[in-house]
Amino acid sequence: MRIKLKRGKKENDFIERVNELSGENVYSCYQCGRCSAGCPFAFEMDILPNQMIRLVQLGQQEELIGTKALFLCASCFTCQSRCPKGINIANVAEAVRSLIDPKGEDHCGPNEIPVDLADELPQQVLVSVYRKFSK
Amino acid sequence: MENKKVKLHYYPGCTLKEKTTNLDDSTRKSMEILGYELIEPENWTCCGAEFPLNEEKIIGLAAPARILRQVKIEGEDKVFTVCSFCFNVLKRTNEALLTDPLKYKRVNAYLKDDIKINHETKDKTTEFPEYEGDVKVYHLLEFIRDEIGYDKIRSMLKRDLSNIKIVPYYGCRLLRPKGNMSIDEPDDPTIFEEFLENIGCTVLDFPFKQECCGSYLSVSMPEAATEASYNILRSAKLNGADAVALSCPLCYYNLDRRQNRIKEQFLEFMGMPVLFFTQLLAWALGVEEKILGLDQHFCSPYSVLGIDDKSEVKI
Repeated sequence: MRIKLKRGKKENDFIERVNELSGENVYSCYQCGRCSAGCPFAFEMDILPNQMIRLVQLGQQEELIGTKALFLCASCFTCQSRCPKGINIANVAEAVRSLIDPKGEDHCGPNEIPVDLADELPQQVLVSVYRKFSK
Repeated sequence: MENKKVKLHYYPGCTLKEKTTNLDDSTRKSMEILGYELIEPENWTCCGAEFPLNEEKIIGLAAPARILRQVKIEGEDKVFTVCSFCFNVLKRTNEALLTDPLKYKRVNAYLKDDIKINHETKDKTTEFPEYEGDVKVYHLLEFIRDEIGYDKIRSMLKRDLSNIKIVPYYGCRLLRPKGNMSIDEPDDPTIFEEFLENIGCTVLDFPFKQECCGSYLSVSMPEAATEASYNILRSAKLNGADAVALSCPLCYYNLDRRQNRIKEQFLEFMGMPVLFFTQLLAWALGVEEKILGLDQHFCSPYSVLGIDDKSEVKI
């Protein structure tokens, strides 16, 4: 992946907001890659969890828009339990999701639920998927 | 054995009331046999299922805090749950209120507006005590280990389960995030194995016991979740298990109820019975079969428990 880096107010503000919303310090990541090695959904991701953190460290908000990886996090915290710096990447992903599209469309809201599944889905899965992926 | 029952608060959570009554019924029956009278907090609501990871979405803590406050109002200092999601949310809410003064203040400000109406007398309650995060939240596995004790369980077993070769599946919410959830060591947990051994099962190890089953991705990214679930069940099979034991209604949905989709995506998949730990506990304690709700399972678990299979074999 080749991106043009610049570092101005916009980039700094983005990084600061991610840190605020997630309660984590993304600067403490030194890119060891244990999160990506352990992530159960890395096989489906377009950018890996450590790359996501790297893009946040560089303030590259635009690069993160539309990445599939943000919506493949099941908040299982495997990355957090393995991170030598204790970064909770699920929190960072949640912060990024809310910043890249603050008032946008639901990624998975009530309209996205297939009708034939409506009867069989447990309440818990609906509550959690709306909490994660709808506004 | 005819001692007076000990009163204990039990928070079932939303899914147990309708979609996984097998988990609820087997919990109630087992706890009754173990000498407890279960009490649900009055007017409980859904806990929210997901702990809000966004530091600014403090409103997400209001529902779990309200449930725990109700336990406190009813004069108790502990509550147990069997759903891993509820356990996670309630326990993390306590931690947030105890460690973050801003969250404590905001949550209690939200809860102050609560109104409780007594439907018989029409009396309104508007004054509530502040909730300080001090009701201890147990998962039943933890409660059995720390409060009931394995010795008592062993002394009450009525059936021999040693023919059942089983693997424990922790999933994510029982163990992680690391640091907040002290049910057991997140990287090397043993509580589920100990429980299964003490109710007489033959416990096997398998490398996917802490792996995520896909959770809510089974709605938003079904193929990815199906693959994750398949990997878990295949690993259990390869390690010689007859069945997988778990505690979470959502893992049960992904690993059992969605086996038809696993079969569609992975043609070699032959099915793997999945059981709640409370069903195994109830069975070991001599509970009759119809309480277990085995007919609700997609992959028939009858043969695992040594019961004649009355259901149609679907897979």
